[in-house]
Amino acid sequence: MSPAAPLKKRKGIHGTIALIAVAFGLYWGLVVAPPDAYQGDVQRIMYLHLPSILTAYLSYFLVFVGSGMYLWKREKRDDLLAHSAAELGVLFTALTIIEGSIWGRPTWGVWWTWDARLTLTAILLLIYVGYLMLRSLIEDETRAAAAAAVLGIIGFLDIPLIHMSVYWWRTLHQPPSILRPDKMPWENVHPSMLTALTISFVGFLLLYFYLLALRYRVGEMREEIKTRRLERGV
Amino acid sequence: MGAWGFVALAYGIVWCAIVIYLVALKRRYRNAEAALNRLSSTEAAQDDVEK
Repeated sequence: MSPAAPLKKRKGIHGTIALIAVAFGLYWGLVVAPPDAYQGDVQRIMYLHLPSILTAYLSYFLVFVGSGMYLWKREKRDDLLAHSAAELGVLFTALTIIEGSIWGRPTWGVWWTWDARLTLTAILLLIYVGYLMLRSLIEDETRAAAAAAVLGIIGFLDIPLIHMSVYWWRTLHQPPSILRPDKMPWENVHPSMLTALTISFVGFLLLYFYLLALRYRVGEMREEIKTRRLERGV
Repeated sequence: MGAWGFVALAYGIVWCAIVIYLVALKRRYRNAEAALNRLSSTEAAQDDVEK
């Protein structure tokens, strides 16, 4: 057995557990959970929408931490974490906007509106697309990593704005329906809906960490190739 | 389009996008792994010549 074999086996187990959680979440969200009293079956899109945006927030938090650590200690692994998390953050933010748009058409009557929360989420996506572009535009890798780290930290400041936008401005997007300061989550939604949401979120989290580990390893291997080539003068 | 049409559209797009990303990421992983193995072979061959 090669030294990489136990790692591959662990990844395989992680991937399988993620797949089972995702399948279970799909079953609960599409079959077990009842339709919403006002929105009907369209509300089932929320079992994707909420886990997607929370996963994206987690991703940008990791970009924030990785970027901060990189600027402080200049360790390549922190930059690699930030870069990997940013790529996944962009994926999950784009999916959140698409899901929201598909939900908005039958619920609000429009695919898109320049509502504060929607606009700030679109800005968040653009910031991190810019983050990824910046990295490929600057040739000097150290400078690119430092510039991206600054943008990664600044970009994260958009998240509290997105969260507070529904309180600060008059928006079409509703305020939080589950995590409210006045009530416990199980008092706000049907227990079956809350279960669907929880399972779906756990599935997304497991899938996210599986993808992040894979993306991080790709970056690590590329770094190793570059370093060894430089050492050998290949 | 009915309610289930919108639900199917959302779930279809999301899971297609995630699967496409996963497949592309696995390909990047395999390519990097192959490049690393090739480099190890080249280094081993160079070491043999030097000896």
